Amino acid sequence: MKFSTIVKGIWSFIRRDKKAMAGTFILFGLLLIAAFPNFFTPHDPAAEVYMPGVGLSWNHILGTTSFGQDVFSQLIAGTRQSMMIALVVGFLCTILSVLVGITAAYAGGWLDDLLSLMTDVVLVIPTFPLIIVITAYLKSASFWLMVFVLVVTGWSYGARQLRVQALSLRNRDYLLAARARGESSIYVIFVELIPPMTSLIVANFLGAALYAVLAESSLQFIGLGDISTQSWGTMLYWAQNNAALNAGFPIWALAPGIAIALLGSALALLNYAFDEIANPALRPVRAKQLRAVKS
Amino acid sequence: MRYLVRRIGFLLIALWAAITLNFFIPRLMPGNPAIAMMAKFHGHLNPASLHAIEVAFGIHTHENIFVAYVQYIGNTLQGNFGTSLSNFPNSVTSVISKALPWTLGLVGITTILGFIIGTAVGAIAAWRRGGVLDSVLPPVFIVVSAFPYFWIGLMAIWLFAITLNWLPFLGGYTETVTPTFTVSFILDILNHAVLPAFTILITSIGGWILTMRNNMITVVAEDYVKMARAKGLRPRRILWQYAGRNALLPNLTGFAMSLGFVISGAILVEFVFNYPGVGFMLLQAVENEDYPLMQALFLLITVAVLVAIFLSDIATAILDPRTRNQE
Amino acid sequence: MIGKFKAGMFASALAIVASTVVIAPAVTNVASAGATTASTPLNLANEQGMLWSCSFNPFNPSYLPYSVGLTYETLDFVNALGNAKVTPWLAKSYAWSNSNKTLTFTIRDGVKWSDGVAFTAADVAYTFNMLKTHSALDLNAVWTVLSSVSTTGNTVTFNFMNAAVPFFYYIAGQVAIVPQHIWSKIANPVTDPITKPVGTGGYLMNKCTPQNIQWTRNANYWQKGKAVIKTVNMPAFLDNNTCNLYLAQGKSQWGSQFIPSIKSSYVAKSAGNSYWFPPVANVVLFPNLTKAPLSDVAVRKAISYGINRSSVSKIGEYGYEPAASQTGIVAPTFSKWLSAAAKSAQGKSYNPTKAKNLLKAAGYAKDANGYFAKGGKELAVTIKTNGGYSDWVASMQVVATNLKAIGINATVVPEAANTFYADVYNGNFDLAYNAESGGPTPFYEFRQWLYSKNSAAIGTAAASNWERFNSPAVDSLLNQYTATVSAATQKSIMNKLQNILVNQVPVIPVLEEVDWFQFNKLAFTGFPSAKNPYAQPGLYNEPDWGYVLDNLKPIK
Repeated sequence: MKFSTIVKGIWSFIRRDKKAMAGTFILFGLLLIAAFPNFFTPHDPAAEVYMPGVGLSWNHILGTTSFGQDVFSQLIAGTRQSMMIALVVGFLCTILSVLVGITAAYAGGWLDDLLSLMTDVVLVIPTFPLIIVITAYLKSASFWLMVFVLVVTGWSYGARQLRVQALSLRNRDYLLAARARGESSIYVIFVELIPPMTSLIVANFLGAALYAVLAESSLQFIGLGDISTQSWGTMLYWAQNNAALNAGFPIWALAPGIAIALLGSALALLNYAFDEIANPALRPVRAKQLRAVKS
Repeated sequence: MRYLVRRIGFLLIALWAAITLNFFIPRLMPGNPAIAMMAKFHGHLNPASLHAIEVAFGIHTHENIFVAYVQYIGNTLQGNFGTSLSNFPNSVTSVISKALPWTLGLVGITTILGFIIGTAVGAIAAWRRGGVLDSVLPPVFIVVSAFPYFWIGLMAIWLFAITLNWLPFLGGYTETVTPTFTVSFILDILNHAVLPAFTILITSIGGWILTMRNNMITVVAEDYVKMARAKGLRPRRILWQYAGRNALLPNLTGFAMSLGFVISGAILVEFVFNYPGVGFMLLQAVENEDYPLMQALFLLITVAVLVAIFLSDIATAILDPRTRNQE
Repeated sequence: MIGKFKAGMFASALAIVASTVVIAPAVTNVASAGATTASTPLNLANEQGMLWSCSFNPFNPSYLPYSVGLTYETLDFVNALGNAKVTPWLAKSYAWSNSNKTLTFTIRDGVKWSDGVAFTAADVAYTFNMLKTHSALDLNAVWTVLSSVSTTGNTVTFNFMNAAVPFFYYIAGQVAIVPQHIWSKIANPVTDPITKPVGTGGYLMNKCTPQNIQWTRNANYWQKGKAVIKTVNMPAFLDNNTCNLYLAQGKSQWGSQFIPSIKSSYVAKSAGNSYWFPPVANVVLFPNLTKAPLSDVAVRKAISYGINRSSVSKIGEYGYEPAASQTGIVAPTFSKWLSAAAKSAQGKSYNPTKAKNLLKAAGYAKDANGYFAKGGKELAVTIKTNGGYSDWVASMQVVATNLKAIGINATVVPEAANTFYADVYNGNFDLAYNAESGGPTPFYEFRQWLYSKNSAAIGTAAASNWERFNSPAVDSLLNQYTATVSAATQKSIMNKLQNILVNQVPVIPVLEEVDWFQFNKLAFTGFPSAKNPYAQPGLYNEPDWGYVLDNLKPIK
């Protein structure tokens, strides 16, 4: 199987699936904002120079904070960090999951036992309390520290899933044939084993990215992130600490929550769609077709 | 049997890993609990009391880390977690025992409820493939599950507690009432649990719906279900006894883990609603550098997860003949 | 079977949820109604981020014991808001002798412990000698200056190693006196939780649960006609916002909270909601004096002149905490201590032009980035602050903007609380934003800032004097102050110290720390106010809050 065929297959699937299409659109829009925030930002997000607590207006379409910062500009500026966390953590988690999961399945024997044990141990240790303990101790959780903590705690679920699928593929004919031809393990893994698993790997990437977005915003909300940076989680922290809901600037707390949910939904919708690719039985069916099958 | 022995071995290793992690993390980090205590008073304590606090807490006892590790393992196995620094001079055990019932009550019950409702809805959705339930619920819950749950909590407080003034937003019961075993007090507790329970339910139910639906779809296509249909069994019976039972199995471990995570799972919900449970206590312990309390809580959470997994392993072994034949 | 069982569970689950929703409005509405009478409980609101431990040991190092002032009392009351005025309390009088090295108290007659046993001078001596035996209880470090405490009849005599007049505040005004007949039977007073405190005060602990502490009035209180409220509650709040909502909804009549946008989120929410924030100390930028560039006095002066304190106050603190003065004197609380000479030497407190000129005169020149530099080194500083206090972070962001405008490249570093305090105490910072506890006169804060013996080498925890200021001349001035009871000498020493603050800039006061105080004037009367500042109104001030409780009366 060639990657280009797989990509084409995925794209044609996305085009036909409404959920996947919606997810792709949102994600693409947010990526655009994250890449070119200045194009969308009407004001300096950090500047505390406007009238504090202004409601919705043409000049401040989402009003201002109690410090007199422009809420809309903060929302735009915060997009980048949340997107970065999602992409970087998703990417690193996926690499680690693929590495551990596929090595375990392909190598078998004691290495499989060891790697599986590691995976399962990480899987059962309660993640969020652990993250809280670690970030609370380390110096003001910077971006890369956050990435590190989220990757260390977030790779195991994917590794387990990928191992199971790789195991089921390991003894397929074309893989055995490739080995019999004397191809190197690297070749077999990268050319024969991984491509059929693409949709599951992508689904894992999306799952890890979603986990990263939610965990990061939770940590920032309770003040364990670097609160002097611009992100949606820190916006919620500042809004909550300045009683935005009770003091009459609800948009300040509403907007970042909705933004996180938007990114989260996009990732979850795509994740769901890729599950459907990996498991064709899950694809939506029309009631009529189903009745035909049943009868 | 072999399967269970393997699982027990695994759980013991996981337990050891958690205990060891628990020992080393606080010791690798900067800080000093006496200074953290001083800081908590925000300048309302005479600076000279730094010394008194260090004496009271027994800080500055430089010990060999290996000896400390062995002592720690010994104490942990005996359930001796020492004195809580932020609740000095109360013992860690007594502090946790005050908070544990609240978490078990609120989060435990909502987790079970979420699992039952979600599983039932998921099974029905898969059974009526393409029906209204099946086309509406999955996308709705995918979106809802992607919301940060503390944010849903904030919104619930804003809407139902502040704006409409329907429900309380603070604590486990009306704060000035003395706990008694009466109907009105129990109603008061339920009343206080409505908003946090709603928050946890709405964000957790989606996962169960989706996984159950997906498992069910796979199971429904299996031969024995088709066979049951061919035999003309009542659809209800096929749904719950044949397909549902088997679709549920893969979810059991997930449910067990989430039951274990009950203790930690709702940290932010407890925080947002001022719910007096162990999740909030963990945040408090972290903030005050209360190592003994933090370690005991982290361990408690891990053990709860492991025990729940063990129980689900037993259940799986009983319900699923395949595990017995493994290897 | 399984199917039915599940459906049943499902239905009953829904029923539980539905029934709680239905009963909800009924229960809450009952709770919030009602007019004030003598039996109306007073509910206090002060977020401590913890559930109550129900341990009332007045010498507890771990959290506020909530017993000092209302259950346990002190020998005297020293009012920090009233020029350190001394009100006799458990002692009816005191006298200094032996060139201020002996302090003698005469104990009040007719006072009884809440279990009916008479209060005597022996209780006082027992309390202090217990602090000596158990140094973990000596939170005010009184035994660093005392040599002995003994009784004769109804007097108690304190002998000092050296004259230490300001310690009167701690000895007479801060140490809670406990009953000998009970405490002498306690095996270890350090670890004993003291769940049923027996004291002389106006309010006695009645019930304690993790969610609430409840006090009732002491019917046999020695101050007749005081302490009249039947029930006082203090619910535990885990988070500032919840506590603020509780206050805003009028459920609490006395709070000690930082409330953002207080006019819209508190005052406007319930009739009678009011507030008063009296300043008591300074929140200060501590410059690390041991390393460049802050070892250079010109840089420190430039920073002081470069900060627009009123803008910091407005943006960072909603204007609640007023701008501080480089003289270190908190106005209006301590205004009578202000040195006119120091004030005029300082001149205009916000003067960016002067700040830039000071740097130029000290040999700094602007580099390519627009910041001042000397010898190829750019003037770049970090400002560390407690990331847990959002108001401090917001304030420091304004300061950093101010400093950039005068050519100093400042960056705010909000740190996790534990890291921050470890850094401050150990001297690991360029600039650190923090506050001292202060005391009833400006001297206490000055001594905490400047006394070299409070400090420590970099890398070792210093109890105070975190900037590591070390001047034998200043130490000697501080020692002279501690040896005198003469108001004139004290004033002249304080004048000199203010000049040192202005000329050497060992610390840079930014804002004045205030007591957070909200009250509902329609429910209870007798609160301290700007007109009658008879005690500090913050619920964390011991023993003040207990003495305020003694004075409160319900409005009928």
